[in-house]
Amino acid sequence: MRTRGIVLLACAVLVGCGASDRAPDAAAVAERFHEAIGSQDGAAACGELAEETASKLEQQEGRPCEEAILDLEIPGEGRSVETNVYVITASVSLAAGGKTFLDEFDDGWKVSAAGCVPSAPDAPYDCELEG
Amino acid sequence: MRTFVRHNGLSIAFLGLFLGALILQAVAGHADFNEGQDQHGEEHISFLRYVTSSDFATAVMENWQSEYLQFTLFILLTVWLVQRGSPESKEVGKAGLESDQDQKVGAHAVDASPRWAKLTGFRRRVYENSLLLVMVAIWIASWFAQSITGVTEYNAERLDHQQTTVSWAAYLTRPDFWEKTLQNWQSEFLAVGSMAILAVYLRQRGSPESKPVGAAHHATGPNS
Repeated sequence: MRTRGIVLLACAVLVGCGASDRAPDAAAVAERFHEAIGSQDGAAACGELAEETASKLEQQEGRPCEEAILDLEIPGEGRSVETNVYVITASVSLAAGGKTFLDEFDDGWKVSAAGCVPSAPDAPYDCELEG
Repeated sequence: MRTFVRHNGLSIAFLGLFLGALILQAVAGHADFNEGQDQHGEEHISFLRYVTSSDFATAVMENWQSEYLQFTLFILLTVWLVQRGSPESKEVGKAGLESDQDQKVGAHAVDASPRWAKLTGFRRRVYENSLLLVMVAIWIASWFAQSITGVTEYNAERLDHQQTTVSWAAYLTRPDFWEKTLQNWQSEFLAVGSMAILAVYLRQRGSPESKPVGAAHHATGPNS
């Protein structure tokens, strides 16, 4: 707790932080994405994806994104419990379990990986969808 | 004005070099960052965004902290250690804090001595160590800043690869922090050590960092 306080105090006066005001935006995009999955609205879900992630999905599945995405095992409930933002990347931990990763672009946050569960310690998450 | 410039030319020149190099570092760093963005299929960021980013801040702070550590150790070690023949060293046999008379403090201060040099007690002790204290403070502050901006940059990279983030305390135990720290330390210590020993045998006419050209190799100290 004391360490967190020191870090937050330092962040208040140093560059490279200022993430707290962008966390809600990232969480909102993740929540919209997962709710679109839950509503079986593939087009809306693909609209929240990063371009590279959507393209990779279409190439792998050989189908339009809005069809392919609904066959993936991605949570359909988007309530977030924790959001971390570092520079132009973010991770959102879901109440339903697992994490969603996002990148920030000129037009806002986009989902870069979803349906992610931990694998080995310190190793990348195993993601159902990734760019 | 001309007198000011003539009397302060060294500081002005290095301030100009510092600002120029910092600007060029920002330009090169911005281009390098966006090359990395291309490799990840991500968008370029603006120059303003880059110079306010943890990536740029870490690059600056990791260098500042090592420079001020270099000066901290150089100032401290030259009190107690000597290098025979070097103009960077005190004369052999003069290791230590030296006498009040040599240091012109207290009763031995002269009219032009700084005010706190004429005092006794705590204030004079602070002033006697003020150069080291300020160098240490800047070193610690910039090293702390490196750790704060470094953990942000480190965690951004981890998120980009769908890995968990680490706390600031955990980052201090990570190879990334120590690699950034030690790569700078080794070069600083090498530079100072090289200067101390090369100046024993080599000369630069006109520079106060060198002995007079005709001075003997074994002549030691700033007045050799």
